[in-house]
Amino acid sequence: MTGQLTIDFDLHEGAVLRVLGLVERRGFEVRGIRMTEAADGRGALALDVRARDASRSLDTVAGQLQRLHDVRNVTCIQGVAQ
Amino acid sequence: MAAHAPSTVPDTAPVSGARLVVEALEREGVRTVFGYPGGAIMPLYDALTGSGLRHILVRHEQAAALAADAYGRVTGEPGVCIATSGPGATNLVTGIANAYMDSVPMVAITGQVATSLIGTDAFQEVDIFGITLPIVKHSFVIRSTAEIPQVFAQAFELARSGRPGPVLIDLPKDMGVGAAVPNPVSVERFAHPEADPQLIAAANALIAEARAPVLYFGGGIAIARAERALRDFAARTGMPSVATLKGLGGIPTDHPDFLGMLGMHGMRAANMAIDKCDLLICVGARFDDRATGKLDTFAPGATVIHIDGDPAEIGKLRRAAVGISGDISKILDALDARPAHSEHWAALCRRQKAMWAMSYDAPGSGIYAPALLKDLSEAAGDDAVFTCDVGQHQMWVAQHCRFSRPQAHLTSAGLGTMGYGVPAGIGALIADPDATVITISGDGSIMMNVQELATLRRYRLPLKIVLIDNSQLGMVRQWQELFFEENFSEIDLSDNPDFADLAQAFGIEAFTIDHRDEVPAAIERLLATNGPILCHVRIDPRANVWPLVPPNSSNVQMLEKAK
Repeated sequence: MTGQLTIDFDLHEGAVLRVLGLVERRGFEVRGIRMTEAADGRGALALDVRARDASRSLDTVAGQLQRLHDVRNVTCIQGVAQ
Repeated sequence: MAAHAPSTVPDTAPVSGARLVVEALEREGVRTVFGYPGGAIMPLYDALTGSGLRHILVRHEQAAALAADAYGRVTGEPGVCIATSGPGATNLVTGIANAYMDSVPMVAITGQVATSLIGTDAFQEVDIFGITLPIVKHSFVIRSTAEIPQVFAQAFELARSGRPGPVLIDLPKDMGVGAAVPNPVSVERFAHPEADPQLIAAANALIAEARAPVLYFGGGIAIARAERALRDFAARTGMPSVATLKGLGGIPTDHPDFLGMLGMHGMRAANMAIDKCDLLICVGARFDDRATGKLDTFAPGATVIHIDGDPAEIGKLRRAAVGISGDISKILDALDARPAHSEHWAALCRRQKAMWAMSYDAPGSGIYAPALLKDLSEAAGDDAVFTCDVGQHQMWVAQHCRFSRPQAHLTSAGLGTMGYGVPAGIGALIADPDATVITISGDGSIMMNVQELATLRRYRLPLKIVLIDNSQLGMVRQWQELFFEENFSEIDLSDNPDFADLAQAFGIEAFTIDHRDEVPAAIERLLATNGPILCHVRIDPRANVWPLVPPNSSNVQMLEKAK
């Protein structure tokens, strides 16, 4: 299963590592990364991801990202072509 | 998130960073910290003297973190541990992970080399911020002395609110030494969102229709302090209930409709009820593999209602027909429906519980650990606090001791940390000095943090240690016997020291028993002694924990002790 995660977050120390580490650890390969900084100083990460096994859910990892203190918003789209 | 707390008015005179740390801890109501000094954290230790904070000097940093963990479990407030940079910080890691896995509030403070030296491979430099990223709820590196009050206020709020967890603050040495006028503090306070009324209505409808409901609860009950609401709900619905390891005590374990712990070493009545139920109401639990066994055979005929303080847990491993996140007490209080036709089911579960009740008959004259633990628990009463190490004895405590509140059972459930028991006993006694605190350990586990006997002695902490000694790594041996064709590999501990002599060398009263006739007097002596005491109990090395669900099996495929 492939998909795309878009994460808006506060650009605090370690925030990018926290996000990437969580996605990897929770069963997804990160296949593509685009990061931008918005005018308000927040960061936006767009991740192309691929599940390591069929049991992994993009919605679940989105929920786990959402509980990170630095993360403001997460959207996920399943099945985005890479 | 809710309203901001009022800002504190900064003093105008510069204050050292270390002093700001102490003041921040005092503002959070911290009275005791657990730690071990060293180079990079020396400015903080300099500021501790003359402060209102009591420092408990452990003999290994891991014990500081584990004691802080237990303090957090007992009080509901973050336990605080302190270590220096490098090895001091890495020694905290197991304790931080322990708190993370069991959602325990903790603030860990680590010294760090001076800012200008970070990244230069300086003496005792390690990237503890990076190392702990996966095992903290959040973490900070202090980059400005003036921000210290803000960072600490945020750290405590994060550690204790919502789903609690450990927060790490890395304090470079120059930040502690330097002085600054502190910035104002403003912290967002966490508040659960109100539960969706439509979901409450949907859950009530499912409850009303249920013919064979089961209430399955876990550590989230203690976190939310939702015991009253849970018990009211169980009484209102007459529903049979089962608990995870961390949930034990949420409903008193001697309640007629409480069927016991579920899962790998759970009670057969609990696992059978889950297997046959038509409605499973999971409250503050997370479908952990030790509880569910083979997940796709767990509660195969049940519709699931999942209630949790953490929305990320809902649907993580098992789809819920109705998932409700928020304040657990409020949600349970709003579930006012009663199953219309479940009396026969409840009666059946009670009969199953009686049929599969534990037997305490054991051949021979040696000590049968389950019987000893049952007798000890009954003699100590419900106010006693048990802390456990990890292994067979941990499961025996869960199976045979009685608990009427979750805070009375401190066990390393998620991480399974051997060496937790004695430091947890220290933390529990610091949190509640008047409590009767009993540590159940094993001969493998005790050696993981045996140095903390010196801490018990130093502070005259009246911990009662029961060391169950089978001269083996018992749980590993049991698995090798059952699942590795008796290929016993590296489980022999027959060259253990004499544990009573060892404890006495630390200045702790100790004695050994190895015959069941000695048990009553040993229990009496343990409970009557005012200071720290260790009872070394020799048991049969072949003793196993029963029942047992084999790995990757359904919970109904339980192995039982051979008659």
